[in-house]
Amino acid sequence: MNPDKKAYHERFMREAIAMAELALRSDETPVGCVFVKDDEIIGRGMNETNRTLNGTRHAEFVALAGILSKLPISILKETDLYVTVEPCVMCASMLRQYGIRAVYFGCWNERFGGTGGVLNIHSDISVDKPYPVHGGIFREEAIMLLRKFYVQENEKAPEPKQKRTRELKTEISPMDIHAPKK
Amino acid sequence: MSTLTLSPASVDSRLSEPKTRFALPSRPSRHMLSNCLRAMPLPSRSEHLIVDQPFLFRCAKLFNSVISKAIPDLKTNDFQHLRRVVQFKFLPPHLQKTFRSSKGGVVLTEDPSEEDVAEQDDTVRYFLVSPSKAIQHAALVDAFRQNPPWCESKASPRIFYVTVPTFSPTSSEQAAQWSVEYWPITYKNTNPYGPHPSLVARNVAEIEKDAGKWLALAEKAAEQVYSQNLGERVGCVIVDNSKGRPEIVAVAADSRWRNPTGEPETKNDGPGNVMAHAVERAIAMVGKKRLRAVGKDPDTLDRKLFCDSPLTDMERRYYELDNLPSNGYLCVELDIYVTHEPCVMCSMAILHSRFKRCIFGRRMPYTGGLTADNAEGKMEEKPKLGDGLGHGIFWRPSELNWKLLAWEFTNEEDKENGKISDHTPNTLQA
Repeated sequence: MNPDKKAYHERFMREAIAMAELALRSDETPVGCVFVKDDEIIGRGMNETNRTLNGTRHAEFVALAGILSKLPISILKETDLYVTVEPCVMCASMLRQYGIRAVYFGCWNERFGGTGGVLNIHSDISVDKPYPVHGGIFREEAIMLLRKFYVQENEKAPEPKQKRTRELKTEISPMDIHAPKK
Repeated sequence: MSTLTLSPASVDSRLSEPKTRFALPSRPSRHMLSNCLRAMPLPSRSEHLIVDQPFLFRCAKLFNSVISKAIPDLKTNDFQHLRRVVQFKFLPPHLQKTFRSSKGGVVLTEDPSEEDVAEQDDTVRYFLVSPSKAIQHAALVDAFRQNPPWCESKASPRIFYVTVPTFSPTSSEQAAQWSVEYWPITYKNTNPYGPHPSLVARNVAEIEKDAGKWLALAEKAAEQVYSQNLGERVGCVIVDNSKGRPEIVAVAADSRWRNPTGEPETKNDGPGNVMAHAVERAIAMVGKKRLRAVGKDPDTLDRKLFCDSPLTDMERRYYELDNLPSNGYLCVELDIYVTHEPCVMCSMAILHSRFKRCIFGRRMPYTGGLTADNAEGKMEEKPKLGDGLGHGIFWRPSELNWKLLAWEFTNEEDKENGKISDHTPNTLQA
């Protein structure tokens, strides 16, 4: 990626990270995203699963619910997504059904990633048009946000796991977790 | 049809009898979506039988410490399905015969007649050591010669080689058969290739009586919104079957063609409001009911495009029932019935929501996310469009963070008569 392109993508990923930081402050899994059309941010979203008691309220859904209340679906064909963590299988499929142009993400999601982390919903056989994905933009920052969250106690889970003794690791090796499997 | 007495709240009284008789497949193993994702099918019996020949010898105590010293890197996990210590009377007949008559190996006592008696004694144990390739015969003999009772005796341990199945059995029947043919086998409910048949059978018994009724209700819900031109003819019903008496928790229809102002959107080539698929709406209703149950505003952070408020009287009726406990988590312990195989997005939404079971009506080989095999039940590494996508998003326990049971609900009568129950295009994302 040439320096100009890199700076362009990093500019929007920084905005996505700001949304993830907001999620962390709101006691939500720190994942944030922005949708970009014609170099402009047209919508922002963050994970809201804890406060809605709905495991499907991911950042991409939240952002699109805002965008599509004002703009037609067809604009998504010229829209890119910047999201701090690789879209999950559910969101990857939603984005493909909507016809997203491209997806840029920070770290890979080894638990349920849908664009390379676990499955390849963006490119596998489907009735919908595939889309390109680019991972690894501010990957370390995205991972650190997740780690900050996971050292906290998740009180919503039925049997809270003891996490108090966990320490926040700060070193990230090149092929640590949240790296692509292949 | 149903002999179960249901409370008025759990069945829609206006629900007519299903047009045709629904029946769960009589052979769940064929219809069950059990082969999840793997390119490899369930290993057949012949593939299990290998030439691994673990050492075998008799007597019980001290062996673990001797063996762990002699074979420090032994992976006992690889043969957990094989019983490690076995009494003579539980050996397969052919091994009883071999061991009784055998003068081979190294004999413990000089007197064969004494040995015969000892072998049939309940105090004698046959101990499975390791795969034969893990240690040389002489090295194993040496290891034992250094320990009691052999270090004090001229005798040596008797060591046999037996053929055993490499892999765990996939059913209790198979385990019983192998125990007679090869070596006593245990079987555990941890099949990585798909849910265990006994688990499937137990769950079928729990749901088969009412499954057709819930799917008929889902169809009716779909019809009501479809007829207002607000959605595709897809509907779903969420049922709590954990308290011994089934209770409907939520009913929702697809409303992808309902625009943000609530009016019908002109159908076009586009996908419509993907977030308003029936499954997404129903899951959102469960979340809102849970918020209500803990005294919070059900409309917290709600957005119009999620379309998760009831659209019909039927949806409202179940939405307004306070029948979820306040301490529940997502959709744990709940079952979801969908008229069509859910798309990949909805399949993963079901998994994210920790459902217990999913039962769907029509298989969607172009778009469905649950089936792992194609229409003929075969597995393909790279499916062709229309053969099923092969994702198997219900049982990928080593990759995804939840697993559930899933069934295609087939209507054998309709299949025989060549009837198609709805005219939804097969490329629809349900």
